[in-house]
Amino acid sequence: MNPNLLAAPIALPLFVAALLLAVARWGGRQRIGLQRGLAILALVVNLVVALALARFTLGGQRLVLQMGGWPAPFGITLIADGLTAILLTLTALVALAVLPFAMATIDLHRERMAFYPLFLVLIMGVSGAFLTGDFFNLYVFFEVLLMASFVLLTVGGQPAQTHSGIRYVVLNLIGSLVFLAAAGIAYGTLGTLNMAHMAQRLESAPMAVRSLLAGMLLVAFGSKAALFPVFFWLPSSYHTPPPAVTALFGGLLTKVGVYTLMRSFTLFFPDLLAAWQPLLLAVAGATMLVGALGAMAQPTIRRVLSFHIISHVGFMFMGLAVALDGNRLAVGFGLAAAILYMAHHMLVKTGLILAGGAVEIDMGGDRLQSIGGLMGRRPVLAVLFFLSAISLAAIPPFSGFISKLSLLQITLDTRHWTVAAASIGASVLTLINVMRLWREAFWGKYEHPGRLTPWLLDAPWRRWLVLGPIAGLLLLSLGLGLFGERFLQMTTTAAQQALDRDGYIAAVHPLDPESVAAPAPAGGHD
Amino acid sequence: MTQLILALTVGILFACGAYLILRRGQIKLILGLGLLSHGVNLLLFGSGALTRGEPPIFADKANFASELSTRHLADPLPQALILTAIVISFGITAFMIVLVNRRHTITNSDVVQGELVPLLLEGDPFAAGIEGTDGYDWLAYEVDEVYERDHMGRRGSRVLPDQDESAALEKDGYDLR
Repeated sequence: MNPNLLAAPIALPLFVAALLLAVARWGGRQRIGLQRGLAILALVVNLVVALALARFTLGGQRLVLQMGGWPAPFGITLIADGLTAILLTLTALVALAVLPFAMATIDLHRERMAFYPLFLVLIMGVSGAFLTGDFFNLYVFFEVLLMASFVLLTVGGQPAQTHSGIRYVVLNLIGSLVFLAAAGIAYGTLGTLNMAHMAQRLESAPMAVRSLLAGMLLVAFGSKAALFPVFFWLPSSYHTPPPAVTALFGGLLTKVGVYTLMRSFTLFFPDLLAAWQPLLLAVAGATMLVGALGAMAQPTIRRVLSFHIISHVGFMFMGLAVALDGNRLAVGFGLAAAILYMAHHMLVKTGLILAGGAVEIDMGGDRLQSIGGLMGRRPVLAVLFFLSAISLAAIPPFSGFISKLSLLQITLDTRHWTVAAASIGASVLTLINVMRLWREAFWGKYEHPGRLTPWLLDAPWRRWLVLGPIAGLLLLSLGLGLFGERFLQMTTTAAQQALDRDGYIAAVHPLDPESVAAPAPAGGHD
Repeated sequence: MTQLILALTVGILFACGAYLILRRGQIKLILGLGLLSHGVNLLLFGSGALTRGEPPIFADKANFASELSTRHLADPLPQALILTAIVISFGITAFMIVLVNRRHTITNSDVVQGELVPLLLEGDPFAAGIEGTDGYDWLAYEVDEVYERDHMGRRGSRVLPDQDESAALEKDGYDLR
């Protein structure tokens, strides 16, 4: 397979975003229709590339591209393994689901403020963070996606958006600074920033350096992933932008943090995964419970769903924490279950936030006390919301069941009773929460709210653009649940690959600078 | 000695930045973030060797290996990293300043508010008032952080944020929908 394909998920959205900006400014017309079409086209191509990568890597191989032909520690490396390919596919799917919804619901004012280019730049940042094999490059892609998300969060300039925007920017910036400081310390102590090379050199690094780096990365990536003590930027900002933007953020952003945690702990510090296990499990359990309990207290649909994101990140982190435990299941089963859970979460959470957003737009608000009776008014939306909600609450045959079951199985198998109990508690709370949403929003007497926007679900094309993506994501969740065995095999392959450090290092093949300097260098290395 | 001075500078920058971020004023917040990113940039700078070296440019490619062993060269990578980091933090700081300015236009205040103010300001049709905000009453005291400013910027009498902010915005040319 041609390794140049690896650049496509980064280069294509960037190129199309630039093209859209040019199209929007050229001749004084915005050409929103053309922008929408090009954006969808770019995402479809992205999905095809991601599927091709998944097909290749899930056969147990890795694909490596050394940018510019520079050998490994000198240039920037892009590398795809199973985990990367799965996440790229899910990213493209989530983006393809959110985009039609955004077309139907985002107001013209925001669309003119470069909404579609920003959307594509966000996708580029997320894809780049998944693909890169260079530590500093990872920081840059984080900043790319954060910058796009800052603007998407605040564009429109509603007062609430500005308020939450400041919090979001500041807290994310502090997390990024910790990451950047970790990169500096890594370069100062290890003398390299190529991830495979770092992994190689970390083996002989002193314990103090390893612990310091691991701690800083845990804080930095943990704050991106919204883990327990550093999650507060998420619930204070996700309810303010338009629902489509919240769905995109909820589906993608925290998962980049979870991915980097998985990657750094399996590649850099596999021994600390065992040594720090009590800490990691405590963080996971606290994240789950705090997220679920916090959701109980929230007054609006989107705030409840934002807190659920935190709770679910805890589940994924629990899978990572038990990734290396010896047990009668295969080693790496925990990580495989966590990846499956991540897939389930990205699909279902996006769908549910979209459904909640449709409710919000249809009712003119999503304060649970004030809405109600949507069951009779919007039966299709009600059914979709209900099915998404029970998928989130892990009721079969949807994907939530198999992914949560395999996570629970591995924690019980490795005898981590406390965190297993916490996860069951969080699941029950999730069920109570989605029941609360359902009861408040869809049952009861329909009341005419203060501000009614009847246009959303009444025009047929808008109805399709709003309900179609939710139904599509639900179908994917159903497929993930029904063919769970097969998907679990795929994620097991991905987990084995992620845990196979030697394979990763061999695939990147970092040269030692001293050995390069000794003989006269050859003209072009390949 | 150089290393000690650098380490102390980084530490002091971090401490001052952290202190400023924990204050309530938003200008202090921006300054604090600036100091923090300066601290991190200096830390990156210290990750290379803190010695004088020649520019790592080789006269001819064939003698690359022998030159590398005889000459004392500077490490260019930390500087490349710092340049990237400076550009990124410049962009984010500019964005922050615009946000804070916008917020100042809305609230006529420099301080960071709690949760209740956005709840009231977002014009939620269901938020009847402070009493009607679903048990968020414990945040009500946050409201008194909103003050009027006189022309010198001094804090004047207290105002509740349910003033008509749209007039202030339209005056500044914002398109309100």
